[in-house]
Amino acid sequence: MTQNRTPPPAASGPSRRRLLAGGAAAAAAGATVGAGVTAGLLTGATQPATTPTSASTSATDEVDLTRIVPFYDQTHQAGIRTPPQRHSVFMTFNLNAGTDAQDLQVLLARWSAAIAQLTQGKTIGTVEPSRPDAVGTDTGEAYGLAPASLTVTVGLGPGVFDDRYGLAAKRPALLADLPRIPGDVLQAGLTGGDLSLQACADDPQVAYHAVRNLARMVTTTAHTHWVVLGFGRASAGPGQETPRNLMGFKDGTRNVAGDDDYDRFVWLGEDAGWMAGGTYQVVRKITMTIETWDFDRISDQQRIFGRTKDEGAPLTGTAEFDTPDFAARGDGGYVIDQASHIALAAPENNAGVKILRRGYNFTDGLNDQGLLDAGLLFISYQNDPQHFIDLQNRLGRFDLLNEYIRHVGSGIFAIPPGPPTGSYIGQALFA
Amino acid sequence: MSRKFTTVAGASTALVLTAALAACATTPVASNSPAASSGADGSAPVTGGAAQVKVTLTGDGGDACTADHLTAPAGPVTFTVENVSSTAITEVELQSELKILGEKENLAPGLPAASFTVTLDGGTYTLYCLGAEPETQTFTVTGQAAASPTGSTATLLNEGAKEYQTWVVGQAEDMATAVTNLKTAVDSGDVDEAKAAYVQARPFYEKIESDVEGFVMEGFKVDDNAGNLDYLIDMRASNLDEKVGWSGFHAVERDLWKNGEITSDTKKYAADLSTNVGTLVEVVKTLEFKPEDLANGAAALLEEVQSGKITGEEEAYSHTDLNDFAANVEGARQAFAYLQPGLEKIDADLMNQVVTEFGNVDAALAELRDKSAPGGYLPWTSANRGKHSKTLSQAVLALQQPMQKIAEKVATAK
Repeated sequence: MTQNRTPPPAASGPSRRRLLAGGAAAAAAGATVGAGVTAGLLTGATQPATTPTSASTSATDEVDLTRIVPFYDQTHQAGIRTPPQRHSVFMTFNLNAGTDAQDLQVLLARWSAAIAQLTQGKTIGTVEPSRPDAVGTDTGEAYGLAPASLTVTVGLGPGVFDDRYGLAAKRPALLADLPRIPGDVLQAGLTGGDLSLQACADDPQVAYHAVRNLARMVTTTAHTHWVVLGFGRASAGPGQETPRNLMGFKDGTRNVAGDDDYDRFVWLGEDAGWMAGGTYQVVRKITMTIETWDFDRISDQQRIFGRTKDEGAPLTGTAEFDTPDFAARGDGGYVIDQASHIALAAPENNAGVKILRRGYNFTDGLNDQGLLDAGLLFISYQNDPQHFIDLQNRLGRFDLLNEYIRHVGSGIFAIPPGPPTGSYIGQALFA
Repeated sequence: MSRKFTTVAGASTALVLTAALAACATTPVASNSPAASSGADGSAPVTGGAAQVKVTLTGDGGDACTADHLTAPAGPVTFTVENVSSTAITEVELQSELKILGEKENLAPGLPAASFTVTLDGGTYTLYCLGAEPETQTFTVTGQAAASPTGSTATLLNEGAKEYQTWVVGQAEDMATAVTNLKTAVDSGDVDEAKAAYVQARPFYEKIESDVEGFVMEGFKVDDNAGNLDYLIDMRASNLDEKVGWSGFHAVERDLWKNGEITSDTKKYAADLSTNVGTLVEVVKTLEFKPEDLANGAAALLEEVQSGKITGEEEAYSHTDLNDFAANVEGARQAFAYLQPGLEKIDADLMNQVVTEFGNVDAALAELRDKSAPGGYLPWTSANRGKHSKTLSQAVLALQQPMQKIAEKVATAK
């Protein structure tokens, strides 16, 4: 009666997963000799299980598929300060009519235990049950794949705290539906949600498997609402090179970084009660009119962003990390247009406020016109959603970029703190 | 039909009792109750008439399943399971020779302890913790328990399967009558009357569809659709086999709704349909069902709903898909109802959950009633599908989730 539900842990022997990861690494190492480009994608590093926040990611921005991001005992949920992985699946859910607080409790506990399994590269249960009439617990498509730094971040939408579950008294102080913001063309099918899952991994199949199985195990309690598959992270962690969005510009050069920034702008403090160590997640699905953008002359593109396209330097500097000089004037007025994207978003023009951006590019194929349907899955974390609201109000009104983008999806979620061993995400709600 | 409703009503009464028991079972149980009479020789102490065994799941350095006692006196034994820190173990069962006697699912770290009670006779059992290392432990019961008044779970399930067979035959016979009526209406040349007869005949087939799926008549090869009864009766444009040609319900449907007229071909389709359904009745009388067939059949009917009815594929011309939808669900409900008395003994929580989800599907479907439409539901046009299919689909998905677990339980019941 062996169930053979999980592959053996990486540390205990040559599992298929380890061989695969090792093989990929070896292939990459081999390729490095001939083509330096490959070295940026995969690495020959073999050390397992490194804490992401303490990982010294090299400037060459390498991927180590064997890496495991710990789930328990981390104060904060993973997937926020974790250096952005290459791929993501973001899915929202609505709670089923007639469910109660106990259903929600079981959902959060089962999700937490399953996420703990998945992030270690394990299945959530049997792939091939021994009883012929049994249905597999795990769908199996990630069996044998490396952990790939999988993180799954769980969020609670405003609906969790309405009168359905008796949790109104536990509502995070600043959690409320986002107000209408200028420029919003939100679609109902891409907006809101009672729960969110942000799965990120360096292997897209690992991220997809996680969300698929987490969705599958809770169908009696919650149903899917909307989903975005992200690729090519559009933000950088420490040591990572600033990636580019689909407009070809570097995105996230002046992101939140360092303990002070995180404490000041991202994490909720002790005064947040049970949410201490948590944060707020804002998600926006932003489509780009890509073909139109691609026809735009380079000088205009650079004026719109306020940066050069190649280096990513502010138009007042020469290197990416030069501090923009928003006061500098040239022949035709300000060197960096006051309505450029970076001028409107800069902390110095927003009372010093920063938000942590951790987005991904996405594509949904072609739209009704036969044009590329793609854009940015914008995800930000902040300890006060008003920071996002204020910034986006400015951008929505004045940003030169608005000609090329549309905010079509939106959601806000409270992100509870990370659970200690033996607990689960949101356990404080049911205390 | 009426005899069936009696049985279902009986099952519902049992259900109320079970719900109360389940509610008690999920309440945390104190491990060292003062009333406990100490068990001899390390045997589990008896409190409130049941031996108490505490099972603890831990995950530090390997997922382990630890019972505070591995022996108990014969009689009721309550297993109280607490998951302290194991992320791999989500289910604990008590088995006898691989048959499930009782179990608890949905275990996760941080949740309150949950319990299940089984009445055990003297002998050796297996405590099975899926995902633990080791997964199985021997559990020994000493002495002899009073005989169970209600019969074994397996007996209940097998009785249910037998009764279900009788019900299926009844449905097939009613279908034969309804199809004869359809043939009469078609022969009369009255399109409206024929449409009404069509809509009345369809549900009988949809209720028992999973039992006759893929049935091949004697003398035909398995890859010859000309001998496939299910195909001949229910073929659709989307799965048409040109070699055999179109016949059956949906050929009639096409003539009545798309063409709006009855031709000599239509009359032939209706006559063939009547003949084939007559054959089907004889086939159905020979069928024998095991309990897991009922569970798998119910699951298959829900699959039909999800992939054939909600999509509007089944009734492409009449758009009476929701009529079929309701019949598929009814067929699944009947199969499930015959398993209920046995399933209640194995996993009352699971049984309750299925009942709840059937209720949710009914409620979602009730929203789409339209008395003036043929079949009694909104015509399942593209516009209506766009508006309502998501809600229906998700309600059915929520029913499929617990339903998928039943076959395994009843197949292994003792």
